[in-house]
Amino acid sequence: MKLAVISCIHGNYEALNAVLSDIDAQKADQIYCLGDLVGYGPYPNAVVELIRSLDIPTVQGCWDEDIVEGLNACECSYPSQLAEKRGRLAHEWTNTVIRPKVREYLATLPMTLRLDNLCFVHGSPNSQHEYLLPSMDSFAALERVLSTDADVLFCGHTHVPYVRNLGDGTLTVSVQRPGKDALETQFKTPVKQIVNVGSVGEPRHGRPNATYVLYDTDTAQVELREVPYEVAKTCMAILEEGLPPIFAWRLARGMEFAERADDPSHVCQR
Amino acid sequence: MITVVAGPCGAGKTTWILQELAQMPMPAVYIALGADTVPIDATRVTARFPQVEIFHHRPEKELLQRLAAEVPIYFELGFQLETDVPLLEARPHRRVALVAEENRDAGWQLWADEVICGNHSTLDLQAAQLWRAPLTGQVFDPPSLDEMLIELTGGAYGNVHRVKGIFELPDGRAFHVDFVKGLPGIEYTELNLPHWRSGRPDRFSGIEVVGWNLEQETIAQTVRDGCLSDGAIAHYQEQYKALISDEINPEESVLA
Repeated sequence: MKLAVISCIHGNYEALNAVLSDIDAQKADQIYCLGDLVGYGPYPNAVVELIRSLDIPTVQGCWDEDIVEGLNACECSYPSQLAEKRGRLAHEWTNTVIRPKVREYLATLPMTLRLDNLCFVHGSPNSQHEYLLPSMDSFAALERVLSTDADVLFCGHTHVPYVRNLGDGTLTVSVQRPGKDALETQFKTPVKQIVNVGSVGEPRHGRPNATYVLYDTDTAQVELREVPYEVAKTCMAILEEGLPPIFAWRLARGMEFAERADDPSHVCQR
Repeated sequence: MITVVAGPCGAGKTTWILQELAQMPMPAVYIALGADTVPIDATRVTARFPQVEIFHHRPEKELLQRLAAEVPIYFELGFQLETDVPLLEARPHRRVALVAEENRDAGWQLWADEVICGNHSTLDLQAAQLWRAPLTGQVFDPPSLDEMLIELTGGAYGNVHRVKGIFELPDGRAFHVDFVKGLPGIEYTELNLPHWRSGRPDRFSGIEVVGWNLEQETIAQTVRDGCLSDGAIAHYQEQYKALISDEINPEESVLA
């Protein structure tokens, strides 16, 4: 079966449409969505309605949660004071325009989805807000995958796609006991994989093109897709809706609007 | 001896003067015309060469005294060639122009005694705008400052030809920032100034932007958004003080 996994649409309807057309052309059997349907972009309601109308299994992203629960971010949400101010502006705007039915739908989204040996999350199995950066410590990364009991963990949130293979290995845990010999236990771990699918609506890989992933469940082959779309239309809509013009400037350059994690050792406290 | 230095915006006038001063282990005087309340170049010069006197709103009489004492005097002119400097009239001076081959026209050749190769300038003087802001007392969130400068120099707020500034960071250091369109990257140079770790710095900092179609209000707002609050400054300064204390007395900090 060929899966298409998309994430981080952020109210960018033009990008979502282009990606859905590409998925159609690639003849994927099933689409999974890793959340962040809203936030920053100018079409939050239209994006949610399209995802719902296509009945795409979707997990809740950090922005979706913020719209339901209110802002309650850990420091990892924003890399700078400037980014935080912009993030808050975008949150307030989205919070104002979002329709009640859309908010209700976002509240129903699960944290994780499973399909056989595959697990789908937004940020990490711990939290929608936690970043699984490619430079994250191997042990921590392995722990995140093992906690799901799956072999392949699909995530988004960083907006930069990557595939990380965690080779089979042996973990030795040594417990020191006063007056006694240390208690040593060994665990064997099979090969695990983290697949970050990038971002449809707010890419940060240096080009404005949307990214998503195709996954073949029979061969375990991962294909990263990069899809051009009419960025100018989304930029124009950002300006027309009164969102900060800097969002359009950054989107057109593949720079992301505000959020970005840069500390791979940070454990999200949200 | 008076040396008058001129050249297009970003040609490297102050850098050339700094090179001259580096070869001169004696007092000197530096004057930047038109800096007004944003003396970025003068602050850069005096941070590197504390023995250099900055003449800014000081009586002409004092300057003449330095001249009589044979103290070298460097006049830096603004990028629009201003030859009408009353003080220079009837006083011998050496005229140096920093101009790239592409920018050399008859005006520079006629004015200068010596033409030195400077950075190429693509600034259209007819369309050029200058935006300046003193930032004394402001301390920047470092990643916000980075982001603001990337956007500013990348053209997010108009066509920027030149950015220079002096910015204070929460660890107490002050940096000179330099960007000239066509040259690689944004240059950050730490100034040789005491680390300011008690409240808002009571010394000059500021920014100057030269370009065209500049969105001045948006630039000002973005700069403001990157400045730390009193509470944040105090918080960071306490952290840095504790860090330094730990470095000085590592055993005490372990025992504590």
